[in-house]
Amino acid sequence: MEIYVLVKQVPDPEAIVKVKSDLELEIENKYFTSFFDEIAVEAGLKLKEKFGGRVTVLTVDNRRVDALRRGISMGADDAVQIADAALEGSDQFAIARTLSAYLKDKPFDLILTGRQAMDDDAGIVGPAVAECLGIPHVHSIIGFEVDDQKREAKVIREVENGRETLTCPLPALLTCQKGLNKPRIPLVMNVMKAMKAQIKKIDLASLGLGQSDMSPYIKIEKYVPPPKRPPVKMIKEDFPENVRVLVKLLREEAKVI
Amino acid sequence: MEKVDVIIVGGGLAGLSCAYELADSGMTVLVLERGDFSGSKNVTGGRIYLRPILPYLPDIWEQAPLERHVTKEVFTAMGKTNSTTFEFYSERFNQEPYPSYTILRAKFDRWFADLVTEKGGFVIPQKTVDDLIRENGKVIGVKSGDEEIGADCVVAADGILSFLTEKAGLRKPFQPQHFALGFKEVIQLDSKTIEDRFRLSENEGAAQLFFGALTRGIMGGGFLYTNKDSLSLGLVVGLHSLNRKEPREEIYKLLDQFKERPEIKILVKGGEVVEYSAHLITEGGINNMPRLYTDGMLVVGDAAGLGLNMLATVRGMEYAIVSGVLAARAIKGAKERNDFSASSLVEYEKLLNDSFILKEMNTFKNTLAVLENERLFTKYPQVICDLFEKVMWVDENPKEGIYKTKMAELKKHFFNIETFKDWLMFRKI
Amino acid sequence: MSNDIWVLAEHQEGKVKKIVFELLSAGIDFSKKTGQEVAVLLLGSGLEEAAKSLTPFADKIYVMDDPSFTPYTSDAYLPSIASLIKEHQPSILLGGATSTGKDLFPRLAMHLQTGYSPDCTGLSIGEDGKLIARRPLFGGKVFAEMAFSEARPPMATVRNNAFLVNENLDRSATVISVPPHIDPSLLKKKVIGFEKAPGAKLDITEADIVVAAGRGIKAPENFKMIEDLADALNASVGTTRATVDEGWRDLKDQIGKSGKNISAKLYMAFGISGAIHHILGIGTCKTVVAVDNDPNALIFNYADYGIAGDLFQIIPALTEELKKALAADR
Ligand SMILES: Cc1cc2nc3c(=O)[nH]c(=O)nc-3n(C[C@H](O)[C@H](O)[C@H](O)COP(=O)(O)OP(=O)(O)OC[C@H]3O[C@@H](n4cnc5c(N)ncnc54)[C@H](O)[C@@H]3O)c2cc1C
Ligand SMILES: Cc1cc2nc3c(=O)[nH]c(=O)nc-3n(C[C@H](O)[C@H](O)[C@H](O)COP(=O)(O)OP(=O)(O)OC[C@H]3O[C@@H](n4cnc5c(N)ncnc54)[C@H](O)[C@@H]3O)c2cc1C
Ligand SMILES: Nc1ncnc2c1ncn2[C@@H]1O[C@H](COP(=O)(O)O)[C@@H](O)[C@H]1O
Repeated sequence: MEIYVLVKQVPDPEAIVKVKSDLELEIENKYFTSFFDEIAVEAGLKLKEKFGGRVTVLTVDNRRVDALRRGISMGADDAVQIADAALEGSDQFAIARTLSAYLKDKPFDLILTGRQAMDDDAGIVGPAVAECLGIPHVHSIIGFEVDDQKREAKVIREVENGRETLTCPLPALLTCQKGLNKPRIPLVMNVMKAMKAQIKKIDLASLGLGQSDMSPYIKIEKYVPPPKRPPVKMIKEDFPENVRVLVKLLREEAKVI
Repeated sequence: MEKVDVIIVGGGLAGLSCAYELADSGMTVLVLERGDFSGSKNVTGGRIYLRPILPYLPDIWEQAPLERHVTKEVFTAMGKTNSTTFEFYSERFNQEPYPSYTILRAKFDRWFADLVTEKGGFVIPQKTVDDLIRENGKVIGVKSGDEEIGADCVVAADGILSFLTEKAGLRKPFQPQHFALGFKEVIQLDSKTIEDRFRLSENEGAAQLFFGALTRGIMGGGFLYTNKDSLSLGLVVGLHSLNRKEPREEIYKLLDQFKERPEIKILVKGGEVVEYSAHLITEGGINNMPRLYTDGMLVVGDAAGLGLNMLATVRGMEYAIVSGVLAARAIKGAKERNDFSASSLVEYEKLLNDSFILKEMNTFKNTLAVLENERLFTKYPQVICDLFEKVMWVDENPKEGIYKTKMAELKKHFFNIETFKDWLMFRKI
Repeated sequence: MSNDIWVLAEHQEGKVKKIVFELLSAGIDFSKKTGQEVAVLLLGSGLEEAAKSLTPFADKIYVMDDPSFTPYTSDAYLPSIASLIKEHQPSILLGGATSTGKDLFPRLAMHLQTGYSPDCTGLSIGEDGKLIARRPLFGGKVFAEMAFSEARPPMATVRNNAFLVNENLDRSATVISVPPHIDPSLLKKKVIGFEKAPGAKLDITEADIVVAAGRGIKAPENFKMIEDLADALNASVGTTRATVDEGWRDLKDQIGKSGKNISAKLYMAFGISGAIHHILGIGTCKTVVAVDNDPNALIFNYADYGIAGDLFQIIPALTEELKKALAADR
């Protein structure tokens, strides 16, 4: 099977992110491979172990290739970085168009992505790539099996009141959610090799794209700090009085019950 | 078994400085760190002195993410309801190269790890070393999960409870009196507020130490350091003394009560606690250090018991960094001789002996015994505070002469045999 | 070209979801300023009940009735909605930030080559009459106001409880039947099974009240206490990754960065330390209550009300107290 996994290096959930100005953020220098993308890599590797073939990790990023190195250390065969000055400030749709331009004439069976990138939390790129490539997609899967003979994936997707099982012909794009698997922690020796691995770099021109293909559909007009919760009111009374006070506060002050 | 030249276990200051020093010598150096990244689990009150380090590790400090250089030293003796503060400022503290900085380890260690990587070293987080691999008594590698990795030399930089020194049979079993427990909060506040509250100029920092009623008779003290946009506030208490205390004190309550003191409350007001951590501190002193080397292995930093604790002033970072560098030098020498046996690695101990580290630890070898004296953190701070209170207090009664007040107090509390003994003890430090 | 504000009406077992009424209430609010009409898109089969419940909340209801719409797949929905949009050119298209919304909208936006802002917590109309969407980034550490390109229609999915349902709307929608646009050869995905979640509780993303316990509850069987509390409050039960990883609770109930973002009116956390990964999932909850026996637990930094105490003592007492208080209301 030919499997492509789309991966992105993002600020760690623990990194401090602050609004610097309307259009600028201050982001602490703590990055990791978006957690859901690691799940996608793991899913790809499991398939490869079962059916043979290749796993390629792919990122659009002008600076960071650590997500690719993470992918290689986990066991991906190949890694490609798409980088270009014209990508600065592009939206998720332009990223999707770029990725599809690279993928469109590759012989893929499956494209795997994260449910959402842990920085923009958008969940756009996966379904948008599928649309550009004209292949089916299933969003936020928590289980799947592939039938290589029938060229079909059986997928479990979580919906609000339960779990849905679908079949989906290959080639397809699946976005991966926690629960699908536990990403492996790569062996030390593989991490060392990945740190030294050569990474292919591709620009937009070689994909037949230019600045005009990058015009955004959505734009951040302004960053705003999150609404701040007032300082906590600790209920100091002893048990069981504290429980009574809490109920009273919830009813009379917060008015939520 | 795959093999590298050197494996360093623990990506704290000791491990990283060793790796940094080795990385550009062309050797393959591998640092294994069990945290999510270097610094994720490392606790420090947060003050580092650069002058002792510069001769060993001169070139990394310009870019380093240090917090504020300390220009103001503050000591506060706390009574139960009162306190006396002594503040010291010197222009010398404000001249480059600045002698001392506050530091946040999560930030610093992560940066240092990146620096080591840039130099060609490999720093790999999320890897716990579970065991040593030995052959005929010689350490030849480590085990991490299912993986075995070989090396000419293993450096144990795995911090205070060093499990590797135990595995290698280099140390005696631990006793509570070998440790103090430190716990601290990082409280976020914007830099302007910090500068206003502590009367500092931009980038200047304050280091404040507290003794007395805050530890409720337990050996120890408190500290407060100003970072760029946060405060590090914490307590250090001797484990032995804590265990002896009846009724038992819940440690976090001590910190809470400390924070509730009006003197502290006003300093941390409006801040948000962004980090809470607890960690052991070495207190064993020079008499309780493990053996520092064996065939194929060296021990550095806290793992080697290198550190000093004087109530709330903890010194460990300089020792960690410099011991790491010295270990690297010894390893380079061993590499040249192509001999990693104990008789070749003994070089490391010689280097340590010649450095300020063991000299200082020798000088202060009696501190612990002296500091065990309960009066230091119960009686004396209280007496000082009460004395001031008497001097400052004006009420409906006619005020006594100040000299008279003082002499009476001093006589009562200081001109006695106990205090004389304490004073004699003090001269040992 | 119409100038309508459109809302995609999701429904489950014949009932239209609450988020749809929230969005229609907001849409009608916007329309008062701009004079636009508000229309609902209702896809499915046997939709009379659903259409009826929507009538006071909209001016038009576009109904597309076809069995291939149930259950939802993007293969069936997308071409039908896209062609209707191309025909009518609405000014805005809104939907809930639900499993369906998040599956359909990004792809539909790419198809229509228009902008889409996911998982919004607020919408407003700028002075130029254009939609501005507010959404959390980095799990809620910052928010962004999103503007859209000129392409029509700007699209957004919105979280629950961003808007209040206005019960006093007096519109009377015209039902407009539209032929679906289904090409059987494009129906590639097939839903072959559905396993309903046990219990009748709403999903934590949809519930107004969520009560949760973390590792502090010590054992899976102790969740019974939380279930009882939830029953008293008609709440849903959430949890942390710690208990999910222990296998005590189902993944669908996990709140946080690698679980779900909830926007409940009331969130109560018991024995949850307050790791940032968890906190990021509750940023848009209105009122947060925390109970933990460690007074230094980080969770208290993110709560409105806190009790430093033993959950094993507090939960049962709280359940009783609430039962009493709520019974007195009835
Ligand atoms: C509250 C407090 C205040 C302090 N204040 C000061 C101060 O103001 N000034 C000062 O100089 N010193 C201070 N110290 C002491 C100082 O922090 C330590 O001496 C210093 O951190 C020692 O560095 P290290 O690299 O030896 O150990 P550590 O920093 O503890 O690093 C050890 C590393 O090894 C890793 N590790 C452990 N076991 C394994 C394993 N099996 N496999 C892989 N990795 C492993 C750990 O995760 C850790 O990252 C303070 C300490 C405390 C607790
Ligand atoms: C990439 C990544 C993603 C993650 N995503 C998520 C996520 O989506 N959601 C999530 O929740 N976590 C997530 N985590 C994990 C997160 O970091 C924490 O480990 C987790 O939230 C801790 O769960 P907890 O609060 O239940 O457990 P603990 O941290 O163990 O806290 C238990 C609490 O219970 C208290 N307690 C114990 N006994 C009692 C008692 N008798 N009465 C009252 N209180 C008591 C304790 O004081 C403590 O505060 C993620 C981690 C990573 C690295
Ligand atoms: N720049 C990128 N390069 C590669 N893959 C990406 C990129 N951005 C997003 N993705 C993939 O698309 C998923 C959803 O991203 P997003 O739409 O940004 O939330 C991620 O989990 C990745 O798998």
